Amino acid sequence: MNFVASVPDINLLELITLLAEDQDIQHVPIGREEEGVGVCTGAYLGGKRPALLMQNAGLMNSCNGLTTTALQFGIPLLLLVYYAGDMGDNAFHMLGLVTEQVLQGLGIKYTVARNPSEVKKQIADAMSICQAAKRPVALLLTRDVL
Amino acid sequence: MKRDECMQAIAPLFSDELFVTTNGGTTTEWNSVRPSDANMQVKTMGLCSSIGMGLALALPHRRVVVMDGDGSLWMNLGSLATIGLHQPTNLMHICWDNKSYEASGGEPTATAAERLDFAAVARGAGIADSWCVLTIDDLQERVRYALDTPGPHFIWACIEPGHSIKLVRPCDELENKYRFIRQIEQTEGLDILRMPLGHSQER
Repeated sequence: MNFVASVPDINLLELITLLAEDQDIQHVPIGREEEGVGVCTGAYLGGKRPALLMQNAGLMNSCNGLTTTALQFGIPLLLLVYYAGDMGDNAFHMLGLVTEQVLQGLGIKYTVARNPSEVKKQIADAMSICQAAKRPVALLLTRDVL
Repeated sequence: MKRDECMQAIAPLFSDELFVTTNGGTTTEWNSVRPSDANMQVKTMGLCSSIGMGLALALPHRRVVVMDGDGSLWMNLGSLATIGLHQPTNLMHICWDNKSYEASGGEPTATAAERLDFAAVARGAGIADSWCVLTIDDLQERVRYALDTPGPHFIWACIEPGHSIKLVRPCDELENKYRFIRQIEQTEGLDILRMPLGHSQER
């Protein structure tokens, strides 16, 4: 990936700081996650390999954009989603309860990343299948990998 | 003035710009007035300004023209703040305002109450070159200026509903995407639709 739109979460802070410093990645802060689906779609059309970094609350905010833009136009968009409400994270338990079902309902393939030693390969694999299938693919990032 | 009359008046001013058009009459009329593989239709209401900004950031040397609507911009008003933040100098954002959800039966939008000033909102969001135009002459002047000057630019064009031209239907979204990307590949020398090799070919 070389283009990342993001909306922060406290658990993504370190990752976003690294992104902002990375010369090989164009980092684009946005105000609302569905905007990010649009910004990443435009970036893809212009030749970038985009990812959208957000919390799962933002995944909920993005459902129409994901459906009628990313899925309908076949846009390879990597969704890097902090998994709030996962086991051990009590702040947004309702979000944790519905996140995977929403991804399943949208028909978006996903992996839950729990092991720091595997996450690098999981990101590469998700990016690869997302490019091959020309569809959004999600990686749910738990606190263990952040 | 009607939207299709405005489009006919500004179409000759453009050369190799990329166009991102909101769903409804804007897409159909623009594709009827100026058919081109450089036209990209949008299906998510409100998202054209965000898609246009992403495209402008990815190709900073290529001018991108977004054609938005009043209902659509109201739905993603925050995108003005994001454009104001990132300042894409190659972005021209036109909002055709007929004060109604024309494609959804003509219900009034927020601008119908005559209190919402999109140009002031855009300027307040950091898009310094923001204008309201009421005549075709003024519209042409603003578009000419935007083509000659670094942006971002915002043009709020107050129009009447309805159209006069014969409409041509745009192609479906997948064909539109492939044609749009292929012309970008050709004009920019990029390989966007490259596929990863199959496992058997990797050795």
